[in-house]
Amino acid sequence: MAGSIVNRDAFLSNIAKQLGRAPKTQLTKPVWQYQPQDRVLKDATKDELVAVLAKQCKNINTNLIVTTTENLATDLQKVVDYYGGRSVITWQDERFESYGLLPLMQTQWPQADIQLYIWDETQPEENIRQAEKANIGMTISEMTLAESGTAVLFSDKYRGRTVSFLPEKSIILMPKSTIVPRITQAARWMSQKVQNGEHIASCINFITGPSNSADIEMIPVVGVHGPIKATYIVIEDQ
Amino acid sequence: MAMKTSDDRFNKRVSKELENTFMRGAVSSAQERFQTRRLQQANELGHWEEWRSHGEEIRQHVLANLDYYLYQLSENVANRGGHVYFAKTAEEATSYIQQIAEKKQAKKIVKSKSMVTEEINLNPALEQLGCEVIETDLGEYILQVGDHEPPSHIVVPALHKNKEQIRDIFKEKQGYDKTEKPEELALYVREKLRNEYLTADIGITGCNFAIAESGSITLVTNEGNADLVTALPKTQITVMGMERIVPTFEEMEVLVSLLTRSAVGQKLTSYITTLTGVKDAGDTDGPDEFHLVIVDNGRSAILGGEFQPILQCIRCAACVNACPVYRHVGGHTYGSIYSGPVGVVLSPLLGGYDDFKELPYASTLCGACTDACPVKIPLHQLIHRHRQVIVENEGRAPVSEKLLMKAFGLGASSPTLYKMATKMASPAMSPFTKDNKISNGPGPLKAWTDARDFPAPNKENFRSWFHNRTKGGTE
Amino acid sequence: MKVTLFATCLVDMFQGEVGKAVVEVLERLGCDIDFPENQICCGQPAYNSGYVQDSKNAMKKMITAFEHAQYVVSPSGSCAYMFKEYPEVFKGDPIWEPKAQALAAKTYEFTEFIVDILQIEDVGAHLEGKATFHTSCHMTRLLGVKEAPMKLLGNVKGLQYVELPGTDRCCGFGGTFSVKMGNISGEMVNEKVQNVEETEADILIGADAGCLINIGGRIERQGKPIKVMHIAEVLNCR
Repeated sequence: MAGSIVNRDAFLSNIAKQLGRAPKTQLTKPVWQYQPQDRVLKDATKDELVAVLAKQCKNINTNLIVTTTENLATDLQKVVDYYGGRSVITWQDERFESYGLLPLMQTQWPQADIQLYIWDETQPEENIRQAEKANIGMTISEMTLAESGTAVLFSDKYRGRTVSFLPEKSIILMPKSTIVPRITQAARWMSQKVQNGEHIASCINFITGPSNSADIEMIPVVGVHGPIKATYIVIEDQ
Repeated sequence: MAMKTSDDRFNKRVSKELENTFMRGAVSSAQERFQTRRLQQANELGHWEEWRSHGEEIRQHVLANLDYYLYQLSENVANRGGHVYFAKTAEEATSYIQQIAEKKQAKKIVKSKSMVTEEINLNPALEQLGCEVIETDLGEYILQVGDHEPPSHIVVPALHKNKEQIRDIFKEKQGYDKTEKPEELALYVREKLRNEYLTADIGITGCNFAIAESGSITLVTNEGNADLVTALPKTQITVMGMERIVPTFEEMEVLVSLLTRSAVGQKLTSYITTLTGVKDAGDTDGPDEFHLVIVDNGRSAILGGEFQPILQCIRCAACVNACPVYRHVGGHTYGSIYSGPVGVVLSPLLGGYDDFKELPYASTLCGACTDACPVKIPLHQLIHRHRQVIVENEGRAPVSEKLLMKAFGLGASSPTLYKMATKMASPAMSPFTKDNKISNGPGPLKAWTDARDFPAPNKENFRSWFHNRTKGGTE
Repeated sequence: MKVTLFATCLVDMFQGEVGKAVVEVLERLGCDIDFPENQICCGQPAYNSGYVQDSKNAMKKMITAFEHAQYVVSPSGSCAYMFKEYPEVFKGDPIWEPKAQALAAKTYEFTEFIVDILQIEDVGAHLEGKATFHTSCHMTRLLGVKEAPMKLLGNVKGLQYVELPGTDRCCGFGGTFSVKMGNISGEMVNEKVQNVEETEADILIGADAGCLINIGGRIERQGKPIKVMHIAEVLNCR
């Protein structure tokens, strides 16, 4: 659908007038005088970043598991069991196969009476219905931010936004290769994509632990609208 | 709710709120928690002053080039299938949103927290059309169910309520039958609102930062409500104050890092979401239709003038949490949805001196706000500047005060008169003096002596002592 | 060293003892004190209330009164800071702006002068007691003098120092605020006195007469056994 713009000219020329100049149509972003963000965890190795992540997870009510590709299926199963099994919704994503998870997801879960629903771009309503009733939502982090303990998720037709929001529990797989110091690196990556004329996902989520609120007497409550529990699984993939 | 939240006179609001002991206890302990966490996070991050300076330079650059960035933003939103509406006034914004609601035949609208929609009085405009409008931020939902009470804090709107009061609101209005435990209350609201998200026709959000280079909007929450508001309804409307924009993702990141630390003392909140246009082709969740409403509503009049720095504000409420006056009077005293130091500066600019002329005096000019501000707005200087405008441009100062200040000007213009006045002070005050102190002062001094004693003027003032002493030391 | 004393009107009228202590301490440290008779009020009450134009007369008198000085020293961070504001007030005035700048550049708060200019941290004072210190807002935040009083107090023999809870919080004085918003100001000073009591100190020390008159007035009203002293008086104890 084509977009539209209404009332722009008058609005912007008024701004220019207030600023005491003609409307600006050309501009180069300045080189900033301060750049403190690059210093954070500047020379940290991936292992050190994982340690930072692990420490931060304690602050954000998030369970962290570090595992290898070989042990991933076993460890994932443990988390699913711990969360009470029942039903899992996840994306349509070829990475599950490369992580060797298909036998678990396609064979073991049905046998153990754990229902698996994979996001289906042809079934809009069913997707939401399933996401809403699923016990666990499972997603994959595109970039993992050590400092804040954050997963970056991109939506697309195979990867619904609500998989990470509607189920009560959230499991996020984090390939170790995706770990970076902080949100600075993610922002720079997105900005590069934009400058290269690449399409960026209509929804980019920076998710840091489960949903929470301190709106009642400043007392922290975990799990308000989104997930109540969250586990990150870091996969040693390199 | 418009920006103005009370018709009571300022002094009446002050007296009323000073008596609200629960609110005052809640506010002072909240301030301490917020302050401690903010300082701890600033410390952990390191180079905090550089971060603040970076935040400041970004915000100043954006304001100086606001037309350019808004142009770029609107182009990019339209390229991704969004509709951009520039609204000069609150009325233009609300009637545009009303039109969308009518066109969509919307019955139910879910909203995530947004100060600007409060400012333009959006909810009543939509309710007028017969729409049910549901706030989804836990704090705002509590206030909405509780007869649309105004927020008392920019970040924690229901800060003035205790859990028993909240339980009673839900009990009375919705038949809630569980305890006052926050977990139970939150779980109740979770279940209650879940269905509302799923059945809403329109989702409305505010905007923490729009990103010009990509036409994206960034939403910052801990609850995740903004994500459900934007993922489930078919139509999304985002309302933004026109200054809430950054050039690229890189600056968004810096300001978000400053915001989450300053607002709630977190490295990042649980959900930072960057949304670009309508959902992508083939996506099955996300909006089919996206409207971005960019609101001026008095902001452009601030641009180019000496109050321009207030537009740097990122609504973190760090100044509110640092303010020693807010600490005692709470948010409702300000009579504006914007309370604390930012409210003192912003409310008269957006709402006029008629309603908000007392606010600039609700400050000791202690500078705690300026120190706390992550984007270095010189808040106490702007508060002082308001006083100057009120006195010198608006001529709204009380006559008695004006006379006093004229007398001051006169006394000060002549050292002889000044010396005479300081000499006269002691005999003049002697009828009120007992035990070398004044406990029940005359005129303006009464406001002082209501709470504390005032020293009696020295019988021999310092200058006489200095003059009379033998030069060369007193050893 | 020649020091020109800017006593401030509160000291001149209400706190003569503070002025005497300042003179005695500085003389003991080898300074030669002069007191320009033409000094009046720095203009802050009118200036802070918004009467900027009306306060300029007083400011000009002050600039003239101190024109001859090498160092201007004041026992008030707030009033000293007012001198630092003068260049801003006279910005663009070809005659008064340079004069205001010259005054601002040679103005020091009392403790700042001792520590930074005289380079003395131990003035040889002796005072027995348990004391806490109120950091005045204008002195610490606007003037930026934070360390000097602490250094000096740290070297007072016999003095036990306890930190004041909420030490950086305003006491509620705020000049005309204290009468304009008397009830809010009263609540603020009440909390401040509660904090002072929590320290169980028997002496409250401050470096600004305004704050001390405010806090002291509340202590007096409540009849608390806490002695209120300006830092100059403490440093003058032998």
